[in-house]
Amino acid sequence: MTNLQTKKDLNDEYKNVKYILTSGMRTRLLLSIYDSSKNLEELRISLEKPSATILHGLKELENQNLIRKVQKYYELTSNGYLLTTNMVKLIENWYAINKNKKFWNNHDISDIPEDILKNMYLLKDAEYETSTTSNLSNAFNKYIKLISKSSTLKIIMPIYSENHLKHMIRLLEEDKLKNLQLIIDNRILKSIQKNPQLNKGLLKNKKVKIKCISTNPKIFLTCADEFMSLTLFFKDGHYDDSQILIAKDKNALKWALGLHQHFDNYN
Amino acid sequence: MNFHNEINNDIKFLAKSEIRLKILSELYNHPNSVRGIVNKTDITYSSVSSNISKLEQNDHIRKIDNQYHINPMSEIYFKTFMDFKNSVDIINDYHDFWNDHNLNQLSMYCMKNLTDLKDSELIETTPIDIYKTHNTIKKQLMESESIKAIFPYLHPEYPQLIEHILKNKGIVELLIPRSIYKAIMAKINDKIRKNALKQGNLIAYPVKEELKIYLTICDQSMSLGLFKDDGSFDQNRILISNNEKAQKWAETLFENLKNDVIK
Repeated sequence: MTNLQTKKDLNDEYKNVKYILTSGMRTRLLLSIYDSSKNLEELRISLEKPSATILHGLKELENQNLIRKVQKYYELTSNGYLLTTNMVKLIENWYAINKNKKFWNNHDISDIPEDILKNMYLLKDAEYETSTTSNLSNAFNKYIKLISKSSTLKIIMPIYSENHLKHMIRLLEEDKLKNLQLIIDNRILKSIQKNPQLNKGLLKNKKVKIKCISTNPKIFLTCADEFMSLTLFFKDGHYDDSQILIAKDKNALKWALGLHQHFDNYN
Repeated sequence: MNFHNEINNDIKFLAKSEIRLKILSELYNHPNSVRGIVNKTDITYSSVSSNISKLEQNDHIRKIDNQYHINPMSEIYFKTFMDFKNSVDIINDYHDFWNDHNLNQLSMYCMKNLTDLKDSELIETTPIDIYKTHNTIKKQLMESESIKAIFPYLHPEYPQLIEHILKNKGIVELLIPRSIYKAIMAKINDKIRKNALKQGNLIAYPVKEELKIYLTICDQSMSLGLFKDDGSFDQNRILISNNEKAQKWAETLFENLKNDVIK
């Protein structure tokens, strides 16, 4: 048998989270009251459970100081509100991960820092596009279409792709793209320097700001005013140009800017 | 019910067993064998072995060359699960700080990132040190070259503290109620104030709405105070931290509130 002290330590460590998450009644009550304060009748209808079961759950939550009763209505205490807000975050985090499960599971995500991973809920409206055998360039074409409408781009570019870079130069020349910030590593910079067209179109262009960082990023991240996109590497180290995660909402942009900031802080 | 009204069975599966969580936490750090986990955790071989099987069946881990590895997806699941656990710990650790206090002006993002406040310290006044909270903040302010702050009320010492920072060419950015704006400004030396305003070293936003948060962000530290549900400021408790994450959290709170109240 596991010794008693170990059992007690484990129990102490996880008891709070276990208490909340393992009871369907407690979590559903908290989530229902989180939406709006409710009286017993409203809770009975919302949860489709008998009053006795609901009252039992409410009593437990009241004892834990997570809810309180004010004139027949049950509402969350400040602690209950904080806890439920974070429970909703957990649910949304798992929802966001599951929604694009294939995308995340196929790729190396080790370059995404923990602080960014814990806010995956911000990507709950993101969708991924895949290239198919009948349309091998689907992901790339979607990307080019997106950047063609942007006046400002912040990009972490872990690959040397003349295709991508030439499209960016074209957009700069047409003055559709007015501000391009590229974060690249030394290998990519050297390759750009060797190519006269890219050297002129990017390195000597006042609209382009290039930052060379000392690490080799494993993410291709683009942040614009209207969208974010992300492509990743396979776990075997090869770049995957066939799947791209795209989002256009404010939350996803926030997530992407956080990730961009992380790499921007590298020397 | 929509998706955010349910704790799904996958979350419950992890939450139900402390042993499974402990095993995942070991494997999150590095791959290991059953025997290796037993040695590290003091959990019995049979418990580790049976829970390893369950984790494998649920696709959280896989065996490669006698070592168990956590699957990449489960790394993210586990990370977000632990983020929730850490949030709950912070709510409980500082129970009296949050309890019966007004959180309306804590932005949703800040509430969802409470874990950034890990390692903070709750400072409470005591009968023999009733000014402990004020003196702690005062010390932070005096040692800081620049500050950002939300001052919902006027403490008689604030103008002098601000003046001291401005004198030393520091930058002061304030969110203060309109009702005390003039009082604070009038008590700062005229010349110093005018110069600082001109040079952009003093940026003060007079706010029409009531401020229900007290926040200071100094060079190396932050402090947070709350109002009680009865409307009074809780002078007896502040949460302070010199952790970089907490500093960033406070900066976000400041900016979010600034954007909300300055139209």
